[in-house]
Amino acid sequence: MKEIIRLCFVLTLITAVSAGVLAYVNQQTAEPIARALLEEKMSAVRSVLPPYDNEPDKDMITIMIEGGDSIEVYRGRKDGTVTGAAFAIVASDGYSGDIEFMIGVDGEGVMQGLMVLKHLETPGLGAKIESEDFRGQYSGKSLENTELWEVTRDGGTFIPITGATISSRAITKTSAKGLKLFREHKAEIFEEGEVQE
Amino acid sequence: MKAWDEFIKGFWSENPIFRLVLGLCPTLAVTTSAENGLAMGFASTFVLVCSNTVISSMRRFVPKKVRIPAYIVAIATFVTIVDLVMNGYFHALHKSLGLFIPLIVVNCIILGRAEAFASKNPVWVAIIDGFGMGFGFTVSLIVIGAIREVIGNGTIFNVSIFGDGYLPLLLMILPPGAFIVLGVLLGLMNKVEIAMAERSGRQPIIRREHDCASCTIHTKWFDFSEKEKPTVE
Repeated sequence: MKEIIRLCFVLTLITAVSAGVLAYVNQQTAEPIARALLEEKMSAVRSVLPPYDNEPDKDMITIMIEGGDSIEVYRGRKDGTVTGAAFAIVASDGYSGDIEFMIGVDGEGVMQGLMVLKHLETPGLGAKIESEDFRGQYSGKSLENTELWEVTRDGGTFIPITGATISSRAITKTSAKGLKLFREHKAEIFEEGEVQE
Repeated sequence: MKAWDEFIKGFWSENPIFRLVLGLCPTLAVTTSAENGLAMGFASTFVLVCSNTVISSMRRFVPKKVRIPAYIVAIATFVTIVDLVMNGYFHALHKSLGLFIPLIVVNCIILGRAEAFASKNPVWVAIIDGFGMGFGFTVSLIVIGAIREVIGNGTIFNVSIFGDGYLPLLLMILPPGAFIVLGVLLGLMNKVEIAMAERSGRQPIIRREHDCASCTIHTKWFDFSEKEKPTVE
């Protein structure tokens, strides 16, 4: 009995010290982590928006979409007028896990850029969705000027990554969904177009 | 001289990957590039040195019966610190290593050194052992990562070396490449060890009798007195 108490005491002491240390480190790193995550998202937003002169990270609106979900839309303005929007969408039909990426759209519904935020695709194959060669081909495309949002193998115009048709297909189809979403909610996104924060 | 021996053993005679063959999960999984190998090596070295220090300094207070949980708590604490700090200050690296940072907790090298070495040696020796083992682990990871990156992607530390004309052998970046490189390197290292031993007229490490009784972890744990120590000749 005496021994059990001693064992418990030692273990409790060790875990208590550990908890204390971790609480301190957690508190110290909470802010840098939040900042790093935000910066990661914002650098994607900045790279996909059409030319702007405001601070898109302070110009965010939340839009309700079907199914009760909501998405955060970051707006780029030039001289106070909304010129485009950036928002993150998720492709759930990637090769392994969800692919989350940011797309930027201008007022005409033309895609301005695509930036992959999170994915678990195979390194060396599907992971190449991050490459400029692949992402670049989406810029300048819209639902109007591109009839079929499919990869070339399925009769579309987008050239998939060799050996990673599934990842490429997921990005292509989800981008089209994103553009449709933008078209449906365009009024909302541009509603407060004249209001400058 | 003892300090140097304790340090350098992690590089050759007790190299964690190629001699002890411990910690293969991160070894196989993260070595898709030299940079990942370096980062994983540094993170593991930090945890190893810290956990060796703490475990060695509390070795007299921790009852044998609860030593493993105590070690794991200490190790997990340091891993969590690495995870948080890396996430905040080296976000891109943290992203590319992903899940494997928390998994350092279950890396056999760290618990292995705690159990076999730190728990029965003075603090300063344990620290040197941690640095040495970490050094051996890091170098091994960088070598494996560099080979896989060069062949599988045509780059080293993200610098292209073969130019655009090079068609990468993807296999080397995919999981099979890890096994191939590990196996070939292990074989080469044994070959070199045999040649070196022959030249100096000693028994090569790999030709020594291998069973649990002669394992360094075992002999060190059970503290055989000099005469009942199993012979390794």
